[in-house]
Amino acid sequence: MSILAVDAVSISFGGVRALDAVSATFGAGEIVGIIGPNGAGKTTLLNVICGINRPDTGNIRLQDRVITGMKPNRIAGMGLARTFQTSQLFAGMSILENMMTGLHLRSGTSLYGAALQTKRMRAEEAELAARARDALDFVGFGGFADRPGNVLSFGQRRIVEIARTLISDPKIVLLDEPAVGLSVNRVEELDSLLRRIRDEKGVTLVMIEHVIRLVMGVSDRVVVLNSGQKIADGRPEEIRNNPTVIEAYLGKQIDAARSAS
Amino acid sequence: MTLPVLVGNRSFLALLFGVLLALPAFANQYTLFVGNLMLLYIILALGLNILVGFAGLLAFANAAIYGIGAYGTALLQVHLGWSFWAAAPVGAVLAMLIGTLLAFPALRLSGIFLALATLAFAQATQWVLWHWQSVTFGAGGFRVPPPDFGWIPVKQDYGIYFVSWAVTLGLLLFTWRIMRSRIGRAFVAMRDGEIAAQSLGIDLLTYKAMAFALSSFYAGVAGALYSGLLGFVSPEAFDLFQMIIQKAMIVVGGLGSVVGSVLGAALLVYVMEVLREFKSTQEIVFGALLIAFMVFQPHGLVVFMKRWLPGWEEPLHLAGGVQSTAPGHDTSVAGATSKEHASAERT
Repeated sequence: MSILAVDAVSISFGGVRALDAVSATFGAGEIVGIIGPNGAGKTTLLNVICGINRPDTGNIRLQDRVITGMKPNRIAGMGLARTFQTSQLFAGMSILENMMTGLHLRSGTSLYGAALQTKRMRAEEAELAARARDALDFVGFGGFADRPGNVLSFGQRRIVEIARTLISDPKIVLLDEPAVGLSVNRVEELDSLLRRIRDEKGVTLVMIEHVIRLVMGVSDRVVVLNSGQKIADGRPEEIRNNPTVIEAYLGKQIDAARSAS
Repeated sequence: MTLPVLVGNRSFLALLFGVLLALPAFANQYTLFVGNLMLLYIILALGLNILVGFAGLLAFANAAIYGIGAYGTALLQVHLGWSFWAAAPVGAVLAMLIGTLLAFPALRLSGIFLALATLAFAQATQWVLWHWQSVTFGAGGFRVPPPDFGWIPVKQDYGIYFVSWAVTLGLLLFTWRIMRSRIGRAFVAMRDGEIAAQSLGIDLLTYKAMAFALSSFYAGVAGALYSGLLGFVSPEAFDLFQMIIQKAMIVVGGLGSVVGSVLGAALLVYVMEVLREFKSTQEIVFGALLIAFMVFQPHGLVVFMKRWLPGWEEPLHLAGGVQSTAPGHDTSVAGATSKEHASAERT
C-alpha cells in the first residue's frame, strides 16, 4: 500500500527544469533510496514533497489526500517529517528542548495554560520531556539531553535530528543525505539505525544519499534521478545492473565496489 | 549548597523587586520617578525581547507602539472623558491590535528589510501624531488628567508607582512562564531556523503574529502607565531615540533572556538618569553601548552572569555562554561524546 505518491511532478527555476514529470510511489514501512548526480533534482523533489516548493504541475498525495501546495507545517501535521542537508538543530536550545520542539503538534498548551501553569500544562510538559528522553535513548544520545546541540559533532547532530523527526510518530520521514560528515564506523551505525526505525517503528524512509554502500545496503528500493528525470526505479540489485544508470552515473563507483569486494 | 540559590537570577529579581517595592518608604519624589521609569522600561524590554530576542524578528516599531498605547489611553480620557482605568486597558489592546498587523509584512520580509518596513511604520506614526492636530494636539503634546487612586489604600502620589510595580511583576512572571513553554520553544525554533521550524509543524504566521501581539501589548501597557505617570504626552517621547534606548536595553542585558531584559532595562535607566544633566551625551552613550555590545558581546551581560554566578540559569538560552562553533571545532568534547555514544549503542 502506498503512503506517498508523487504523480508527474514538474518544477522549473528560471528556465531550468529541476524536475520533469517525476512520478514515484512510496510504500508503508519501506526504505527508498534516491540517488543521482549533483543537480539531478533530488533535494528539489524532497522540497516539493514537504511543501517548501510548490510544483508547477503534477500532484502529491499523502495517504490518498492531495497535499500539493499545502504549507510545510500542515504537511508535517499529517505525518510527514524531514531532515536537511545541513544541521538544523536549534542552537538556542538544549538537545532536550530541541526534541520537545519536535512534539510541537503533539502538545496543546495555550498562552493561558502556560501563564497559569495549569496542572494539565505541567503534566503535558513532563510527558513531552519523558518522550523526548525516550527518543534520545533510541538513538543513543540519552546522556546529552540537557546540553546544547553544539557539543555534538556535525554527524552526531544529524542523528539527533533524525530522532527529532521520529518523536512525533510520523508515517514517513524524508532524509537528505543523513550520512554526510559521518565516519565509516558511523555509517555502519546509521545503517542499523535506519533498519531499526523501519522494523521497530514501521516508518517509511525516503533517503537521498551519496554513500552508495549505505543506499544499496539498506534500501528496499532505489529511485535514480538524472537531470530532473527519473531514469530508474527498482531493487538495489536491479539498479546496479541497469545499463542506463551505469551509463548516467554509477559506472565507475559500482565497478570499483565490485573489484574491491 | 545554598550559595547558588543566593547568587542567581532568582535572587537578583527578588532583590530588585524588593528594593523597588520598598522605594516609596525612603525615596524622594525624583528617585521614585526614576524607579517608576525603571518599571516601565522593564515592561518594554521584556516585550521587545520576546519579539527580537526570542522570535528573532528585527522590528523597529516598539517605540511607536508604546506611543500608540500612551496616546490611546490619554486621548480616550481627554476626548471621551473616560477614566484612566477604563482607558488604559483599551489603549493597551489598541496598541496590541495595531502591532499584530506588523506580522503580515514580517511573513515576507526578514532581517534588514523587516527593520526598514517597521521603521517606516514608526515614522508614519510620528507623522500622524504631529499632523493630525484635531485629535492628537500636534507636536506640543497635551496634558492628561491624573488617574484616580481613591480605591487603593495608599497615598495618591504612590498610586501609579504601585500599580506599575504590580503590573511589571505580573508581566515578568507571565513572560518567564510563556518562554519556558512550547510557545517559547516555537519562537526560538523560528528564530534559529524558519524552514526547520515549519517542517516540525510550527505555523510561522501564528507565531509571528503572537510575537508581535505580545510585544505590542507590553508596549501598550507601558504606554498607558507612562501617560498616567507623566500626566503629559507628546510625540518626541516615542521617536527613534526611544527605539534606540529600548534596543540598547535588550542587547546590553541579553537577547533572548528574560532576566537579561530586566537587567538591561534597570541598568540603562540608571545610566540615562546619570546622563540627564548632559542631555546630548545620552544619545552618544546609548548608541556607543549598542554598538560596543553588538561587536564585543552580542549575547549581553547575562553571559557574564552565567559565567560568574553559579545559580544563574535560564532555560532556552543555552547558546549565550557557549557561542555556537563551527562543526568539528570543539574536537575534545565531540571526541568524548563519540565514545559515550558508541558505548550507549553497544548496551
